[in-house]
Amino acid sequence: MTSFQSTLGDESGIAEELAESQQSISIAEFFEKNKHMLGFDSGARGLVTAVKEAVDNALDAAEESGILPDIYVEIQEIGDYYRLIVEDNGPGLTKESLPKVFGKLLYGSRFHAREQSRGQQGIGISAAVLYAQLTSGKPAKITSRTQGSDEAEYFELIVDTDTNEPEISVEETTTWDRPHGTRIELEMEANMRARQQLHDYIKHTAVVNPHARLELREPQEHFKFERATDQLPAETEEIRPHPHGVELGTVMKMLTATDSQTVSGFVQEEFTRVGKKTADSIIDAFRDRHYGREMRWRPPTTHEDIDLHGAVEDATANKGAEATAAFAEAIADGVADHDRIAHHELLETVESAAEAVEDEHGTTFGDTVRENAVEAVWLELIDAVETDEGDGAEGDGDSRLVADLYDLADEATSTRKDDEIIHAFADRLAAKFDAELESDEEDAGNVRHRLTRTDLREHVDRVADLTEEYDDVSFGKTARENVTDAIWGVMATVPDDPPLVRELDGDRDATSDLVDAMRATDIMAPPTRCLAPISEELITAGLKKEFDADFYASATRDAGVSGGDPFIVEAGIAYGGELPAEGTGDVMRFANRVPLVYQRGACATTDVVKSIGWRNYGLDQPGGSGLPNGPVVIMIHVASTNVPFTSESKDAVANVPEIEDEIELAIREAARDLKSYLNKRRSMQQRRKKQNVLGKILPEMATKVAEVTGRDEPDIDDAIARIMNNVLVERDVNENGDGQAVSVVVENNSSTNESLEITDIVSAEPTALSDGATVVEMDGEWFVKWEPEVGSDDEAALEYEVPADATFDLDVKGVESEKLTVNQ
Amino acid sequence: MSADDTQQAREQLIDLAAQFYDQFELGEIPHMSVPTRTKNNIEYDEEMDVWVYGDRESTRSANSVRGARKLLKAVYTIEFLADQLEEDRSSTLRELYYLSESWDNDEAQFNDQDESNSMVEDLEIVSGVTREDFHMRPEESGATLMGPLHLREQTRRGEREIHCQEDVGEGGYQIPNNPDTIEFLDCDADFILAVETGGMRDRLVENGFDEEYDALIVHLKGQPARATRRITKRLHDELGLPVTVFTDGDPWSYRIYGSVAYGSIKSAHLSEYLATPEADFIGIQPADIVEYELPTDPLSDSDINALESELEDPRFQTEYWEKQIELQLDLGKKSEQQSLASHGLDFVTETYLPERLDEMGVL
Repeated sequence: MTSFQSTLGDESGIAEELAESQQSISIAEFFEKNKHMLGFDSGARGLVTAVKEAVDNALDAAEESGILPDIYVEIQEIGDYYRLIVEDNGPGLTKESLPKVFGKLLYGSRFHAREQSRGQQGIGISAAVLYAQLTSGKPAKITSRTQGSDEAEYFELIVDTDTNEPEISVEETTTWDRPHGTRIELEMEANMRARQQLHDYIKHTAVVNPHARLELREPQEHFKFERATDQLPAETEEIRPHPHGVELGTVMKMLTATDSQTVSGFVQEEFTRVGKKTADSIIDAFRDRHYGREMRWRPPTTHEDIDLHGAVEDATANKGAEATAAFAEAIADGVADHDRIAHHELLETVESAAEAVEDEHGTTFGDTVRENAVEAVWLELIDAVETDEGDGAEGDGDSRLVADLYDLADEATSTRKDDEIIHAFADRLAAKFDAELESDEEDAGNVRHRLTRTDLREHVDRVADLTEEYDDVSFGKTARENVTDAIWGVMATVPDDPPLVRELDGDRDATSDLVDAMRATDIMAPPTRCLAPISEELITAGLKKEFDADFYASATRDAGVSGGDPFIVEAGIAYGGELPAEGTGDVMRFANRVPLVYQRGACATTDVVKSIGWRNYGLDQPGGSGLPNGPVVIMIHVASTNVPFTSESKDAVANVPEIEDEIELAIREAARDLKSYLNKRRSMQQRRKKQNVLGKILPEMATKVAEVTGRDEPDIDDAIARIMNNVLVERDVNENGDGQAVSVVVENNSSTNESLEITDIVSAEPTALSDGATVVEMDGEWFVKWEPEVGSDDEAALEYEVPADATFDLDVKGVESEKLTVNQ
Repeated sequence: MSADDTQQAREQLIDLAAQFYDQFELGEIPHMSVPTRTKNNIEYDEEMDVWVYGDRESTRSANSVRGARKLLKAVYTIEFLADQLEEDRSSTLRELYYLSESWDNDEAQFNDQDESNSMVEDLEIVSGVTREDFHMRPEESGATLMGPLHLREQTRRGEREIHCQEDVGEGGYQIPNNPDTIEFLDCDADFILAVETGGMRDRLVENGFDEEYDALIVHLKGQPARATRRITKRLHDELGLPVTVFTDGDPWSYRIYGSVAYGSIKSAHLSEYLATPEADFIGIQPADIVEYELPTDPLSDSDINALESELEDPRFQTEYWEKQIELQLDLGKKSEQQSLASHGLDFVTETYLPERLDEMGVL
């Protein structure tokens, strides 16, 4: 540009010349040149992105209509090109909207909605169409049939990049075997180098959408992912924006559009989580920012030489001595009732004093009289009465403002500061307040001592700078902040009415004050009915469906808020089984149920997984950081009305602290379950090992003891059961007349309560059954069922009688085999 | 030892095995409790004037794999000892360790000799029978004794009468494994001088110290064997001889004195039978290092740790020892017995010992 500027003086027509070559560009044209922004940067990637956009659209469409999605994806190789076909069983598109959905960028229903959905901008599928036409020159072929219609609509279209409008080449009706749904066929230059990502995308989609049926047929392979549940995700509801998540420009637009008259009505109507009380808080915060607060000064004490009474009497003329005295009395008392008093509070005091005296004495105190009284008293309070000797403050030493400010500043600053310094500081600050009287020429000075926090801070800064300069002490940031806070804290919010909406509309500065006020007000987090988390149960179901592991855990966190958008984080872990034990574990990332397959390293979820100390949870983690090793899959789902992505291609979640924290908590929650599973497994392994060793040693010891003592070998089962903290189930059979008395004793040597399911299969009918047991006959065998709960170190017995020739077979369930010893 | 005693020892061992048998039969976890053998669990027995084990017990239980192995080894050891007693044979502790290699069960074999030694100690304590009565000997031959003492020893090859000055060579009289087989006949000695190192013992004998002062010189050979302590105790108790102990001036040597006088931690169950509480310490005292300007070595870290741990050892919590140990920690030095040679070969017999013994009121 510099070269043009240097010649500006010589050639007057340069600007015109430049203007000629400037023209607006269509969005479609822009993306034609910037394909990478949407994830179409290479042939390999383009194919995956096209599949992703088509499948996301299909899922969204089906779910919104309450249909369980059934999606078919096919990729065909045609010479140098690939043909992509995606079919769904969604509601179909009308003849009117169909061309726009596929043939116009930024056309969609979701962009303005605050609701969780896969697509958002309405770019994705039309960008795929654009990519296809750019690389192959072929139009997109789209078939759609709405529910109940006899025939399907068939279109062939391209995006006109100059106008960003669909250009339809073929439009006809056709027959289609699906009762409703949409089918899109794209031909594009592509390759299958990203086959792995494609498979991952489809498989991961199946994991987080256990309610969907997916099928992928590509030149080499064919996958089918069946449903794990018939339960559709909960329907989401659109919500109004949250006051913490809107920007100035948005609010200005909303002010123009709203039907509300007042600011209070506006914030209650247009935002979520704002009721009357919150609206009042917002308006107070707005007043503080827009009008400023008024300084409240201390009323005079008895030992101060200030005669408010006299001042009022002097200012009041022609009202009769008695009424005047009563008026003065009422005002002086009213002022004394305040700890501190601001100008508008004084105004109220005078008003009520005037009305009280009017009632009592029948004398009218008009506006002028009231105004005079207010002025007289206020000037006394701020020590600004004009006297003959000149400046009132200097006449009798310090102004009373100095003493007041001194106390505030002294309280707020550290004790290390010298009294004199603080005094000098207070003196200069009081001078600032005095100066306010003359500052504003238009309306007779800021007599009311009305300041915004910014004004106040400016004063404090100036005065502190002066103090540093003249008194050679440091008056640091913290001290300035503290003093400002102390003074701001005693100042009073003014009662002025906020402007009406039509006054605000177009007033950028005032609207900015309103936005600041909304952000500063405490407001409840936005409602979460706009979100549809997968739920712990379905995460586990999804993982089980796609991974053959030994253990699954999942966690769904409560909703959080980031920038006014509510979000929910969920995590799942699968461990062991058929998962590959070698190498690092897998991380599956999802945002609003869409798998993220690219840019793993740039994603907040990966960062969080790497930052967790997995050794604490029983996983191998070389170096104590990074991805854990071993047969593990970690899944993370971030659901939000506005997932913060690092780029438009939506590959990675941005590092937003609130979201990262929740991701970590969700993973840790699931990981805790994993840890207890691994611990239990380890202790069972140890128990097995111990059992193996002791199972060898103890019988040998028993044999030896018998040898040394010259006795028969002792019975060691009880001892072993006790050593292993085992549950011992033992049968004891005694002759009893003609038959036999059987007792099955359960002895629980473990440290926990055990619930057992015992089935004793007897070849003859048992009688005299003990309580709690039932018997069922089946094909000449009697099944004695007994389900005792046996406490730690306790025992229970099942007893019955059978004929002498009966045989038994005992089956025990409910206790891990490592912990069980059965003696038939 | 009589056949009756042997029979009784054997029965006590078999009772122990029977105890395990009964525990099995009752469905209990087999176990055996022994006093904890650490310095935190020894107490002064005022009546006997010796240190004995306190109330703390460790249980060897088949609850754990370790405990079960230990009990299995115990049963195998019991069997071996019972057989040995039946055959009236004896063996050494080291032989027991090697012998375990021949046992048919891998799990019952000892991993090292410490393990087999401590097993024998366990059995000693639990059965109340001493190691000697099990016919277990330490592998090293006993220490020696030199001085005007006439005794009769019951050997496997008949009785022998020996005068420990006239009937022995310069090596002195070999103390047998079980000194209770000795009968004292006559004694002209005035006191017992127990010496830590062989070099010093030889020096004293060469200089004729035993003859000149009628001393009974007992060679401790480092940490004294039970037989050495037992005979010292008997000489003191039966003949009324005062006992003095002469060692190097370092923390390890103080422990040698400690085990003569107070009993060792490992055999506190036998203190009453082995310890001579009246034994006095001659030196080298830390004070001697200063007084006789002895050549020194600096204390090593392990020396300092050992001294500090002695300050916490109840056996050394006397005014005398606390003063000496603290002095030594201040000095940061230690001296050997033989450092006395820096003043000449005769210094120890002509000056140091007479002075110290006089000071102690023995001479």
